[in-house]
Amino acid sequence: MNTITSYPQCRIVPMRLLGPDTTKRLLDRIVTVPGIRRILLNGQNIPLLVPYGPARGTLNTTNLRKTIEISGNTVDLHVQVGTITLEIEDPSVVGRVRAICDDFFVDFSCYVQEGRFMKTQPSLVDYAKYGPQADSSVIGLVDPRRKEKPAFIRPLGDRVCGGFEL
Amino acid sequence: MTARTPQYGPGTSVVAINRRKQMDPGHKLTVMRNITDEDIVLVLGHRAPGASFKTMHPPITEQQEPECPMRKLVVPTDGAKHGDRVRYVQFADSMFNAPCQPYQRTYAEMYRFRGIDPGTLSGRQIVECRERDLEQYCRLLIETEMFDPALVSLRGATVHGHSLRLSEDGMQFDALQRCVLGKDGMVRYVKDQIGLPLNRMVEVGKPLDHPWLKEHATIFHSLVGTPLRDDREYVEYLQRIHTLRTRYGFMPREA
Repeated sequence: MNTITSYPQCRIVPMRLLGPDTTKRLLDRIVTVPGIRRILLNGQNIPLLVPYGPARGTLNTTNLRKTIEISGNTVDLHVQVGTITLEIEDPSVVGRVRAICDDFFVDFSCYVQEGRFMKTQPSLVDYAKYGPQADSSVIGLVDPRRKEKPAFIRPLGDRVCGGFEL
Repeated sequence: MTARTPQYGPGTSVVAINRRKQMDPGHKLTVMRNITDEDIVLVLGHRAPGASFKTMHPPITEQQEPECPMRKLVVPTDGAKHGDRVRYVQFADSMFNAPCQPYQRTYAEMYRFRGIDPGTLSGRQIVECRERDLEQYCRLLIETEMFDPALVSLRGATVHGHSLRLSEDGMQFDALQRCVLGKDGMVRYVKDQIGLPLNRMVEVGKPLDHPWLKEHATIFHSLVGTPLRDDREYVEYLQRIHTLRTRYGFMPREA
């Protein structure tokens, strides 16, 4: 079976939902930590169009849905970030992430949890979407029903991608 | 025979006291902010400011009313008198010490207003009534201590947010971001309650501070507010209701 989750994981849970600018500033610091394999941003969806009611279908003008730039790579942020899950190469990275968070969050608190937070193995929907030879870096990172792919970030290298193109 | 004094609700905690204050029509609620008639019309989004009220029947005085003692006894509200159509307002109240909560809102409105049809859900409360009455009731609901610009918001649709963590600026999550907190600390509505952009912003004042909110909360919250278990009388009341309903269903008879 796929061993995509054999790496340790940790999750950053701030006491408030983060706006795009704060998320960018936090991720700018986190991506520089060596030993982070994958980052998953979870939060409440900010729809592009008004989804319900008499105004359904009209453009949802908001500053919560933004394209942010992280280490020279653009990421289309569709959510107001509530948790940030990290897949890391070894448990010592957690301490460095915790130190960054303690330093970063001054107006409200935040805790860093250790455990398993990403999908442990490909689901039936993953199988239907990606097939038996699925790219292990995608599983658990993106809702298989979405068309977008994860953003690929090279913190120390040149710009590699735009948007969600790998 | 002495007149019955309504108790409105049990409890000795500040939450219970606040609930009773809001429910008691004899208690004058503190006005915290002022909002113009035009602003209320804009946020509700049912008619253009200055436009006449649309009607669903002719004024009662022009109608042939049947001979009925109840009709003589019950004075129609202003909206009913003019034959206004029925419109709505819906509020979403954050669980983080918002000064009013859906069930509480319905109780308070039933005691204070006439001719209303409230609908109560866990995180939102809708109330329908004649349009003219609605605008008048909205004034009380927005201007008084039952409203906080950050934690209570008018949301006709896409209401999710009452149970979520607050945004980093202290505002209740709103996927449509109908109101924004300005750099001057003022909250302004940029969309009406259904999410259509407004031609001009509607100012609803500054968010209230946390000590005030805790002191005026109508929800128990063990982390940020008053825990329910601290109010023995309330717990006893709830246990009694629970026991009676469990034993006797909808025919609660005590021996």
